[in-house]
Amino acid sequence: MGDRQSAYFLKAEGITKVYSDGTVALRDVDLEVRPGEILGLLGENGAGKTTLTKILSGLLPPTKGRVISPRGPVRFGSPREALDFGIGMVHQHFALVGTFTAVENVALSHERPFTPLHLEETRRKLERLMEESGLRVPLDVPVEKLAVGEQQRVEILKVLSRDVDLLILDEPTSVLTPLEVDELFGLLRRLRDEGKSIILITHKLKEVGAITDRVVVLRKGELVGDFKTAEVSTEQLAQLMVGRPIETELGRPVELAEEPLPRRLSRAKEGVAHTGPGVLHVEDLVVRGDTGELAVQGVSFDVYAGEIFGIAGVEGNGQTELVEALTGLRPAVSGKATINGVDVLGKDPREIYRLGVAHIPEDRWKLGLVLPFTLAENAILGVHRWEEFRGPFSILRWRRINAHVRNLMERFDIQATGPNAPAKSLSGGNQQKLIVGRELAKDPAIIIASQPTRGLDIGAAQYIRDILVEMRNRGRAILLVSADLDEVLALSDRVAIMYEGKFMAVAAPEELDRETIGMLMGGVAVEGRS
Amino acid sequence: MTEVGPGRRFRLLRGAHRTLTGLSPAFESVLAGLVGLLVGAAIMYIWGYDPWRAYFALLRGAYGGSYEWASSVARGVPLVFTALTFSICLRAGMFNIGAEGQLYIGAVAAVTVAMFKLPSGLHLVVGLVFAALAGAFWSLGPAILKLTRGVHEVISTIMFNWIARFLVFYMVAYVLVDPHQAQRTIAIPPTARFPVLIRGTDLSYSVFLAVTFALFVYFLLWHTATGYEVRAAGFNPTAARYGGINIKRTVLLSFLLGGVGAGLAGASVVMGLPPTYAIISGLPQLMNVGFDGMAVAMVGRNHPIGILLAALFFGGLNAGGRVMQFYGANPVPLEMVRVVMGAIVLAMAIPELARMLPATLRALQGLKRLFERRPHVQEGAK
Repeated sequence: MGDRQSAYFLKAEGITKVYSDGTVALRDVDLEVRPGEILGLLGENGAGKTTLTKILSGLLPPTKGRVISPRGPVRFGSPREALDFGIGMVHQHFALVGTFTAVENVALSHERPFTPLHLEETRRKLERLMEESGLRVPLDVPVEKLAVGEQQRVEILKVLSRDVDLLILDEPTSVLTPLEVDELFGLLRRLRDEGKSIILITHKLKEVGAITDRVVVLRKGELVGDFKTAEVSTEQLAQLMVGRPIETELGRPVELAEEPLPRRLSRAKEGVAHTGPGVLHVEDLVVRGDTGELAVQGVSFDVYAGEIFGIAGVEGNGQTELVEALTGLRPAVSGKATINGVDVLGKDPREIYRLGVAHIPEDRWKLGLVLPFTLAENAILGVHRWEEFRGPFSILRWRRINAHVRNLMERFDIQATGPNAPAKSLSGGNQQKLIVGRELAKDPAIIIASQPTRGLDIGAAQYIRDILVEMRNRGRAILLVSADLDEVLALSDRVAIMYEGKFMAVAAPEELDRETIGMLMGGVAVEGRS
Repeated sequence: MTEVGPGRRFRLLRGAHRTLTGLSPAFESVLAGLVGLLVGAAIMYIWGYDPWRAYFALLRGAYGGSYEWASSVARGVPLVFTALTFSICLRAGMFNIGAEGQLYIGAVAAVTVAMFKLPSGLHLVVGLVFAALAGAFWSLGPAILKLTRGVHEVISTIMFNWIARFLVFYMVAYVLVDPHQAQRTIAIPPTARFPVLIRGTDLSYSVFLAVTFALFVYFLLWHTATGYEVRAAGFNPTAARYGGINIKRTVLLSFLLGGVGAGLAGASVVMGLPPTYAIISGLPQLMNVGFDGMAVAMVGRNHPIGILLAALFFGGLNAGGRVMQFYGANPVPLEMVRVVMGAIVLAMAIPELARMLPATLRALQGLKRLFERRPHVQEGAK
């Protein structure tokens, strides 16, 4: 395999990890991390990618095997020690203090207990780093007010500012625009050329080809492949990762080819191209964000029955606020929004659901689920007052609810021990399937789906996408908001590019080439479009 | 770093740790009870009492016979109500410590029925309704402050407790005072008393009200859409809002229901605990029933059924403690029982602490290494 003489930065030997509940997360994995190399760590959710990186960075002791470096055995008690050693990780779920600004967060990560914060120094360092890396964030806004994408950039900057030798990134591109991804990749290449090691956890095959030098495939805790990226094909990797050709319920094999995605779009639309009556009508909608700024500045559009209307754009350009206003979670400043002719602004979520709205929320942990609740309890969130589940005196009909949940589990392939399993015990994909199942069970006229596949593995993501297309073909209206550009383009009949609270353009995806989209997302108006 | 990691040194600790973190909630409560008793024993020993004989007396006084059982149950009854007050609000995501004040107000409201005549039975029901409404009314203050001004319920309920306390002192001394016996209020007439359940004991029919109320709360929280909304809002207000749940409604509802519970607790003391049937000035019968209820709620794991069992235990401690202080050559002061109760509440935190232990150990090691490695770190950092 790899050439022998190259010195390693970290070496894992015979790593096996068994969690205390008996789950075998890793089975006898050998891996070398070399300086000056970008290593892709490919695998589905639950393949053991995160566990492996945690062991590599010394945060988790392996059950068997060891991690060594030329500097000695690797074992740390905290991320801070790992950072001192030169290993930094950007997690999928960020480790930021919400009420602190970016500068404060970064300064905090530099200091030890009882030492003063060097805010000015940190600010200068960050400004220089932002200049070099092209990752821009507002420095003086509490990070909880930032969009998820921006928060991630703060995380990356935080780790970069520590001059690490090994940078581990867990699904870093899921919230970035193509332009930002390019910038990030450029940055990673520069870091590699400086001799640093980079581990990129991903399940996007395109990224593996685009950026990595070497790729390691994990499947169910076992290392099933270790290649030089140049010597392996995308199809091979996909095959290895899932261990089977992926087929969806609808029986269509999923295309994993690298070719530009707008081609795939025609596949999605093969069904029927009917455009029914208008379901959602939005006119001059203005909504304020958390900080009081005008997050949505006069947006107008219609979504028709039987179409998927996609909203693309970098996160933090008003998509969240738009969806929240339409679903009753946030008041609108002005404008109009109707669903089947009924005004929705100023109504509370329950009344809006009554109009036939299903809402797949952006943040499934915060909004979509009550994690300590059971599957059954979560399956009726929002519909718990419907007659189907609630008898006289507001008594819940648990028998019916449990039957409903079993039905959902079967229909949507939710892997869980039963209706009484706590929602937090489910994997991300199963949690999302539960939400999707619950929302679709409402038999909605319109589905508002916000980042519906974020953080899911290929199988689950494709499954959710297929369901959305299926619902469209059955004549439902769908409003899809996603930071995954490929996804929006592939699924949407019409797509709007949102930038700073406005639509830069609304068009059929075929009419837009990627370059145009990239420019629109970056706020550059393109000639011939308003 | 040598091969001898922290793992070897802490092997025994680790075993204990695993045991502690894997405990079921019910067992955790039992463990806490035992630890509390153990701490009490240690303190008795230090002060020269014989813990064995003291606990023997306590056990006999609490559960030694039907009279003792009745006495323990009777003392547990008001605790069931106040524990439920705390638990309902905790399930709704609030730390309501206002049961104490609501209980005083409820007791006063119950005593007011002594000022008019009604047929037996109806008189009792009217008294209970009065007490429930008064308790709910007193909880309305903190609820409205929270909903309109965002005042944290811990602050407001503490303040309302003090207001209630001195208001009731005043009512007992000047408004409801018995003209013949200035140290207490007018007594509740027999028509408005809970009938005694077991003759010769102070156990009355109020125990059925307590059990019914506990079952009602259980049913409400786990089997109705309303209770579902309360629990959802308590765990995750954001998701609850997404689910179309009106958080203000669940907050108000849980406060009011808690107030009803605390009011009934007051009623069960003055209407259902012989022989006084009146409030004695200084409120000795009422004092701390609200706060002890919080301990009962914690030991009962905030579950109505658990609370019934925990209340039986705490009632037993109270009843048995009275025997303990008069027991032969080894009179242990009643305060020792409160030491045990306090130790139990602290011990409830043990499993949680055990869960935090690895993090704590890591932090300590980190701190140690911090000072050891400091020069190196500064060298390496830019």
